[in-house]
Amino acid sequence: MRVPLFDRVTETFTRHLASHSPRRQFLGWFSTFVAGSGAFPLLPVQRAQAESRASVPVPPNTASDFDRLAQSVDPTKCNYWRHCAIDGVLCGCCGGGVHTCPPGTQPSPVSWIGTCRNPSDGRQYVIAYRDCCGRTTCASTPDCHCNTADREMPIYRPQTSNDIIWCFGTTSTTYHCSTAAIVGQA
Amino acid sequence: MFFHNSCRSFALSLLGGVAIVTLGGNALAAEPVLQTEQSDVVTLKPYTPHTILVMDSAGTHAKDGRVYVVDADRGALLGMVQAAYNPNVAMVPDASRFYVGETTWAHGNRGARYDLLAEYDARTLKLTSDEELPARALITPKRNSLTLNVGASYAYVYQMSPNNGVEVVDTHAHKVIQSVDLPGCALTYPWGTNGFSSLCADGTLANVSLGEDGKASMTHSAVFFAPDKDAVFENSPSVTKTGEAYFLSYTGNIYPAHLGANSTVEAPWSLQVGAGMKPASDASAPFETTWRPGGIQLIALHQSDHELYVLMHRGTFWTHKEDGTEVWVYDAQTHKSCAVFHSKRPVTWWG
Repeated sequence: MRVPLFDRVTETFTRHLASHSPRRQFLGWFSTFVAGSGAFPLLPVQRAQAESRASVPVPPNTASDFDRLAQSVDPTKCNYWRHCAIDGVLCGCCGGGVHTCPPGTQPSPVSWIGTCRNPSDGRQYVIAYRDCCGRTTCASTPDCHCNTADREMPIYRPQTSNDIIWCFGTTSTTYHCSTAAIVGQA
Repeated sequence: MFFHNSCRSFALSLLGGVAIVTLGGNALAAEPVLQTEQSDVVTLKPYTPHTILVMDSAGTHAKDGRVYVVDADRGALLGMVQAAYNPNVAMVPDASRFYVGETTWAHGNRGARYDLLAEYDARTLKLTSDEELPARALITPKRNSLTLNVGASYAYVYQMSPNNGVEVVDTHAHKVIQSVDLPGCALTYPWGTNGFSSLCADGTLANVSLGEDGKASMTHSAVFFAPDKDAVFENSPSVTKTGEAYFLSYTGNIYPAHLGANSTVEAPWSLQVGAGMKPASDASAPFETTWRPGGIQLIALHQSDHELYVLMHRGTFWTHKEDGTEVWVYDAQTHKSCAVFHSKRPVTWWG
């Protein structure tokens, strides 16, 4: 069907007006920025964050001995921030991870609870130290055997005691290793 | 030529060897013939005050734990018994026998679980009883998980299954005669012939009296410590015969106590003050670095001298498991420091 001349002139004028109006200009520029932002990566910022995770200086007399040395880069070290109240062998050194049990073992459904400061964001998090059960104690390298005690209590306060084998309710009560799962912000 | 020389050298060597053997044989022939032997087994001499039991929980291969008998004067190993999986050991006062609390499984790490109280003759190290218990607590080994009354006619076995309680074992009949529930409390600090106290989450002592009718009665002391601010250590020392006890807190306060059916606790005194320092801060000001008690078995009482030995280190408040670099010695009656021992390397046990 042939479009009348008047309609074609009107359409051309309307499109020109729309594409040069402030709203379309803004959307166009904004879309270009969003689409192009991927080409200008935030890597420098990310690298800066990664570096800051390793060592955020803590002023003296405002932190525990653990917090002063805590890092958030390597979860297979005792001074990884979530390990502020852990007693046992790190599952990350035994074929598992910071919240993952090694193959063939079973996570305990109950645990003791710690409150640890993440040096990357300065926030306090509640950590559930769940044991992995069903094998004898993991014999990893000695630097994976940790015993830290921020806010840790004797066994008459069992919910915050790390001296208890928490393999209750598992098929076998033999202790293999310990994990440190985030369960919420304190 | 080469072959000939080699043969001659060999022949000379052989002759020389025969001569040496012959000479040696003549010399040894003067010695008497060694007698045939029968295999036998040692019976240990009566224990001295320096014959000690050393418990090795063998942490990374826990089912292979053991208790060593050691002559502490000579540093000599005299014998051992097995003690599997977070074990405990308790010696009777006359050193004639000792008890081991241990846990095993029918198939190593699986199958039926057995919580056991083994009794050994202290001199032959022969197993004289192998009592099956309803339960025992699987925790970092603590001295007060397994204790004995005066006369060692009862053994008290702390258990978490998972409710807190104590199995009372008649050590002559070799059977559990009572199971005492301990809601909110843990471990046993025995006193006299028929009772023990336990530390509780509310800062009190639970005092359990064992009646001859097989029933237990319980009282609670007044609140004497604030667990959230300054908890007391589980490994605090006590004396079964007298009920004398010294509960050590995280900051370094000592609470003298008199354990019994109605335990009483005296006002605390500070280790730091006794050493001429200001008291250490508690959990309300946790970041102060100062000398503090720490370790696992970190305090010992010398009963006759009334002296307390405490492992100390420098740190902030939540360093109560830190190994000690010094041992501070106190007169428990005057509350004054009387000696300091420096350790070449940090230690976690002292007893």
